[in-house]
Parts: sequence; structure tokens; C-alpha cells
Amino acid sequence: MTEKKKDNLTKVMDYLKHEDPFSKGVAFCPGCGLELLLRFIPQVMGNDIVITGTPSCSAPVLLGQNNQSWHTLSYFGTLMTGAAANATGLARYYRKAGIKNTVVCFNGDGTAADIGFGNLSGAAERNEPFIYICYDNEGYMNTGIQKSGTTPFGATTTTTPFGSASKGKNLRRMNLALKMAMHKIPYAATATLSDLDDLAKKLLKAKEAKKRGFAFLHVFAPCTTGWGFAPENTIEVCRRAVKTNYFPLWEAENGKIRMTKTVKKPKPVSTYTELIKKFAHLSQEDLQILQDDVDYEYCMLGGLSLLEGECRLPASLED
Amino acid sequence: MSSNKYFKHEGPWSDSNDPLMCSDTGDWRTKRPVVDKDKCIFCGFCAIYCPIQVMEMVEESYFSPDLDFCKGCGICAKECPKNAISMMPEGDFKK
Repeated sequence: MTEKKKDNLTKVMDYLKHEDPFSKGVAFCPGCGLELLLRFIPQVMGNDIVITGTPSCSAPVLLGQNNQSWHTLSYFGTLMTGAAANATGLARYYRKAGIKNTVVCFNGDGTAADIGFGNLSGAAERNEPFIYICYDNEGYMNTGIQKSGTTPFGATTTTTPFGSASKGKNLRRMNLALKMAMHKIPYAATATLSDLDDLAKKLLKAKEAKKRGFAFLHVFAPCTTGWGFAPENTIEVCRRAVKTNYFPLWEAENGKIRMTKTVKKPKPVSTYTELIKKFAHLSQEDLQILQDDVDYEYCMLGGLSLLEGECRLPASLED
Repeated sequence: MSSNKYFKHEGPWSDSNDPLMCSDTGDWRTKRPVVDKDKCIFCGFCAIYCPIQVMEMVEESYFSPDLDFCKGCGICAKECPKNAISMMPEGDFKK
């Protein structure tokens, strides 16, 4: 009986080779997607990583308080305007000193897409040897749920409220991961928490690609408090985001895009928005705009991934 | 509450000689996950999706939460393919 049961064990368990370096009781909200991601990364990539990060939801835990910390990893706290630049310095020092470890720049979408995008773009262009992980909760959740560049159309935040004068965000979101892939870095990918085997594979690939240069991961991590959904729905929100093509999963090596999960019959985006309170006010017309935006982004991505077989890379980059 | 008993390994670039901080997050819980051992098929989805990673293997036959730290979010109950985990109100367990 026991042997039979052991065969059922999910394959994701095989990726969790290292110890969880975090203390069990850390100060994240119940059902937080970020906490799962943060505990998952060192368990897959190993505990010899140095994390640099900025003021964000992850900072209270990663930075620690007074002389004490919540984890046994190394952490370097930086400003939002210079996250990638500081990671560059660290990575270059370790390379020069001959220390083999992995520098992981772990930031929210506010730093990656808005405030720190300048030096993120610069570090990608210079092909610096570190991994940049952006956890996307679609807003500045730590400071009180303000809108960011990746907040989708129609979402209510404290700076784009719903009322007589405003109907949520009236602009469309940017596609950060695609923008980073267009830097033609060795590895760029999107991932989410419902597909943990996919996430683990991408983390290991990023660690491998780091030897050749810059690696970027865009991870969709829903926020129960800021978006307004029940804590038990965190994984379900991720799953529906993938099934509606709201957040497609793909990877790009040297700018060549390849879909890692294709959805045969994508569901309408309303199956995703119905779970979340920040979209509760959307009318049919607004939903149609969001649907068109999602379709447009997916169409663009599909077109780029079709070119995978046809495009020739410069000879120096081919393995 | 010291949590150092949970660690066998220390990161090579860190200094955690001080005891690690550890909140009593089990206190936040309003609902408690209760595992039905017979229904559990040992797939491990509750353990991998648990944000706090408190689902522990018991005798390699079922999973059980560490109630000292479980925040009671209910992801394990939602993701269980066999509905072997139910969320019971915490008040039922207090004397």
C-alpha cells in the first residue's frame, strides 16, 4: 500500500533538493503567492544564492529586522532606482574574486517595470552574469496598492479607483517579459505558481544561462490583499490566468521565443476576472477591451514564436 | 520561539548565529486544515502549493500540517484532488 502511494507523489518534489532557508513563521499574508515563490527558489536553485532586493513586499522578510533575520541566505538591500546596478556590482565582484555563486535580483513589478527599468535594461544590454526575477503582483502592493505599469486595463487600485470620475485603470498594461526578451539576453521566461514543474525547470535553466550572461524571469504572483480574492484561490487565479491566455507561459533564448505551454481552447478572460474583486465593476465593453488586449498580446507572441525555426542567430551565439 | 531546530545548513555568506526570527503565525488561523488519512492518495499537491511549506510527510503514507505555523489560507484544501482536506473552524478545537 505504501509503495503504491509513493508512486503518486508529484514530480515537482524531485526538484526540491535543497533545504528551505526561511524560518517557518514569516510575516506574509495568508495565501501569499510571493511567499510560495520565495521559498521555492532556494529549494530548487540551492542555498548558495545571494539575493539583492528593494523596498517591496519581500523586503520585510528578506531584509530582516534589527540584528535578526528571517532566513539564512545572504541579502543585500538596495534602492528601487538601482537594483540591477547593485546586482551588477556584486556579480562582477564574485566573478573577479573567483567565487562561484548565484546573484539573484529579486524585485517586484514596480521596480522592474517602472522605477528600476532603466538600469535593468542597461544590465541586460551589457549581459551581466546574474539572474533577475520579477514577481508580478500588478501594482505597488506594499505601499498601499497603487497602480504600476503592469496593472491591467480596468483594474481598481488606490490611484485608479472606481467611481463617478474614474472606472479603474484606463490604460493597457505593458508586456515586461517580452520587452526583456527583445534585449536578446541568453534567457528570458515567464512562469507562474500553478505550474511549479515549469517554474522549477525555468529556474534551473536560468541558473545555467547565468554562465553566459543575463537571465530574466517574470513570475506571476497574485496578491490576495491587493486584488481582493479569497486566500485559498491563489493557485486557482494563476491557473485561470494561464488557461485564458491572460498570462501565457513561454521562454526565449537569445531572443528566440518558444511557448512552453499552449492552451488549445483558451477560455474567455471573464473566467479569470470573476474571481477577483478588482475587476468586479467591469462592464461588458470594458471586459471586451481587456479580452482584445489579451488576444492581441497572445497573437503577437504566437507570431514571434512561429519564427523560431526560421530565424538564424549570429554565428558567434550558436552553441 | 526559536526556530533554529529547523535548520541543518547555514548559507555560506550569511551570519545567522543569532536566533532566527519566527512569528507565531499559527495564531492567525481562523480555520484549520484537517486531513482524512484514508482519502489521502499521497500526491503531495498540498505540500508543494502550501505557501508556508508546512505540510509534512507522515510515515510516507499521508500529509499533515504543522499547526504551529499554518496560517489557515486553505490552499491545501482547495488544491487537493481527492478533497481529503477540510477546513474546520478553529473555535471547535479550543477548550
